[in-house]
Amino acid sequence: MVLSINNISKTFPGGITAIEEINLDLYEGEIVALLGENGSGKSTLVKILYGVYTPDSGEIKILTGDKLSRVNFGNPVDAMKHGIILVNQTPQLIDKLSVAENIAITLSTLRSRDHSGFTSISETSKLLKEVSESTGIRVDPNEKAYNLTYSQKQFIELLRAIIVNAKIFLLDEALSYLPIAEKKRFYDILYSLKNSGKTVLLITHKIQEAFDLSDRIVILRKGRIVGVLETKNTTVDEVRRLMFGETNNKYIINNNWSNPEEEHVIEVEDLAVRDDHGREVLSNITFCVGKGEIAGIIGVAGSGQRELVESIVGLRKPIRGKITLAGVDVVRKGIKAVREAGVGYIPDQPLKQGIACDNSIVENIAIMFSSNPILINWDIVKEKAVEIVKNYNVQSKSIDSPVKTLSGGNIMKVIIGKELSYAKQALIACNPTRALDELSANNLVSVLKYKAHAEKLSVLIASEDIDEVLTISDAVYVLNSGRLIGPFQPSKVPRERIEELMVA
Amino acid sequence: MKITILKRKKELKYGAVIASLLSILFGITIYLVIIGLFGVNLVEAINILGKSFISPTIMKDFLIIYVMGCGLLLSFKASLWNIGGEGQFYIAMIPGIVITLLLFNPETSSTTVPAFIVVLLVIITGSVVGAVWAAVAGTLKAFMNIDEVPVTLILNYIAYYLVNHLVSGPLKGKKTYGYLRTDEIPGIYRLNIILPITRTGNQFEEAVYSFLTQVSYYIALLVTAIAISVFTWWLFKYTKLGLYIKIMGSNPEYLYATGVNTKMLTLLIMALSGSIIGLSGSLYLLVEWGRIPYGIQSHTPGYGYLAILASWLSMLDHRLLPVSAYLVAGLRNTGLSIKIAGLGDTEQTLIILGSVLLGYSITRFIADYEVKIR
Repeated sequence: MVLSINNISKTFPGGITAIEEINLDLYEGEIVALLGENGSGKSTLVKILYGVYTPDSGEIKILTGDKLSRVNFGNPVDAMKHGIILVNQTPQLIDKLSVAENIAITLSTLRSRDHSGFTSISETSKLLKEVSESTGIRVDPNEKAYNLTYSQKQFIELLRAIIVNAKIFLLDEALSYLPIAEKKRFYDILYSLKNSGKTVLLITHKIQEAFDLSDRIVILRKGRIVGVLETKNTTVDEVRRLMFGETNNKYIINNNWSNPEEEHVIEVEDLAVRDDHGREVLSNITFCVGKGEIAGIIGVAGSGQRELVESIVGLRKPIRGKITLAGVDVVRKGIKAVREAGVGYIPDQPLKQGIACDNSIVENIAIMFSSNPILINWDIVKEKAVEIVKNYNVQSKSIDSPVKTLSGGNIMKVIIGKELSYAKQALIACNPTRALDELSANNLVSVLKYKAHAEKLSVLIASEDIDEVLTISDAVYVLNSGRLIGPFQPSKVPRERIEELMVA
Repeated sequence: MKITILKRKKELKYGAVIASLLSILFGITIYLVIIGLFGVNLVEAINILGKSFISPTIMKDFLIIYVMGCGLLLSFKASLWNIGGEGQFYIAMIPGIVITLLLFNPETSSTTVPAFIVVLLVIITGSVVGAVWAAVAGTLKAFMNIDEVPVTLILNYIAYYLVNHLVSGPLKGKKTYGYLRTDEIPGIYRLNIILPITRTGNQFEEAVYSFLTQVSYYIALLVTAIAISVFTWWLFKYTKLGLYIKIMGSNPEYLYATGVNTKMLTLLIMALSGSIIGLSGSLYLLVEWGRIPYGIQSHTPGYGYLAILASWLSMLDHRLLPVSAYLVAGLRNTGLSIKIAGLGDTEQTLIILGSVLLGYSITRFIADYEVKIR
């Protein structure tokens, strides 16, 4: 046994119990998948193992030498010193630094703790070269992080974990947004790590990913472990039943395609846009979305999806081009007019542009649902907040709870709920199901399809998740290196062709 | 052994109030220890401290600091750090002097405009000038992203020099016996109610009467403080602007993404903050000074800065602002009493203020966090 978790519990300020009496043992040379719906406590458990949170009770024991010793992690460096490393969904590299500099920081931090000195860039580059050769991942140590794609950054994170000689790899949704080819390479590296005696704890809300990769599946539900299953001896249905309980069959995706009307609600013509570093990331983008149509734009991370949706809603000034959204000349009138026209917006950076975490759920909703220009009718707003919390199954103690007390998935549900309720003419969304569990994602797809069919809402979804786009969209576009290819009818184009276009 | 600090799962009951009270005790204790080391009679010092906090003379400072604190709190809650209360306070007095002296004929001791309209005009123009002064920083912040902290601070000094220049130049009084100051505002515009001096011989009765005398003298400030208090409560509880201010303080990018013009909002919040402070400046002129003296900054204890202190001590909670404003006013009063009693200089108040702030940081930490040894 390499790690033993005994009776770990954690309750957050406000009395929200995230996990309760968790017992779990991890062994050398295995891959364990930790599955659970949004708010089940997966991230809390991982953050405890990585020293970000301190548990209220219980103990963690880790193999030191030939016996298990109790550890108390005060911070992630403590955890890393004991051989635990976390690879996040979002790469943690510092953009302005080179790959070698990024890794040297981690190595120097670890060495400063045991006073063994500073790690030079040349020494790091040498280590990178060695690991690069053994894993088959080609890396230029001098490349600046901002020049790397999302996939490359994730590989660098994994290489960093190997270089610091981690024995337990925590992968928190780290594979969720990798394109298929890269995901398969990632799998190969994880298998070889497993074969060399390393332990991998894979945190995911994607059931298939758990089946593809793991030896055991641990299922968390409402902060408790409800099942530990041998992957080869279980089924997707059993896992689903344990994850979602009686709500398992609540949402069934309606796969009818909508019949868009001729009238165009979203029109983009010859658009060119710069990214945050001033580089032209999109050029000659032209497309339109009809009334009641769902258009999906698929591309690997960093293809310009964020810049595209931000310019369409009026948050980013284009270099040139014309955007008309719900009858509003976006370039000239900006976000205010777009919002007033009844456009919902689910941003790529939800915590930055989609919600105010220090404020309560009801305050976040009030800001969008108060028609009186001066006063807020709290009775109406509270009614709306209760409706959103109920319809989107937000797990929260009260609508007056600060948003920051919710789990990542539940925060996303609040954002989706308010934006979908607000959208009357169009919805512009970027990776809307990113943080959602399967059930909530299916719910969102159903609601979107209903809104497009019955209420004639025009929807534009930019995403890195090919399944998401193919499931939802009536028309699919591929965004690659700033160019838009399409439209395609998802039922008529093979998935492999779309994948090829994404990376070609 | 490892020390772990965790945020409390449940807030301590009355934690904020207890933290405030304990911090006062802490600050006073530290102060007494320090002056005790310098050989000051502690019994006398404690007596002065106690009296300073219940003295009727605390009333004026408390009301001014509270009203200005409300103005500052509006901007602080939006994470707009208006450090320019001093400048907005003084600059707002200029239109008051100009209007009252222009509309009153000293030859005939009469005016064609009814006094209440003149007073109203003084208050409105004072508020507008305060708003404009703060809006300068708001404009630079909103449209050029220039940090409002140095700008408001610099504007304080510009206000000092501008007011002093006017007082020694165009607004210099004709009946000032050689002193550099403006002429006095005619009595009909003064807002004090002066009760006659009464001696009953009963110490308690006289204390109560003395308190009432102060209340009536500063009745205009009291009424304004109540009105501003109600306005602040209403603003944050029922209005969209109040909600915008709160969300501006936590995530302005979200506010912008919902379609709110955050540039204009920045300007509006700074102007609103400045207008409340301007209002307090014009009232101070009508109620307390009656004229503007030269070297204006040395004639008050720096209300703009004391109000910042009160605002921060309240943890930007308008419900706690009266408590913190009273505390700051009490400490200012203590400084004066200490000087009068010959126990030290007014600067000694700074020791108490610093110790109270230190104590407040410690007690707030204990109220919000628990320390576990594992």
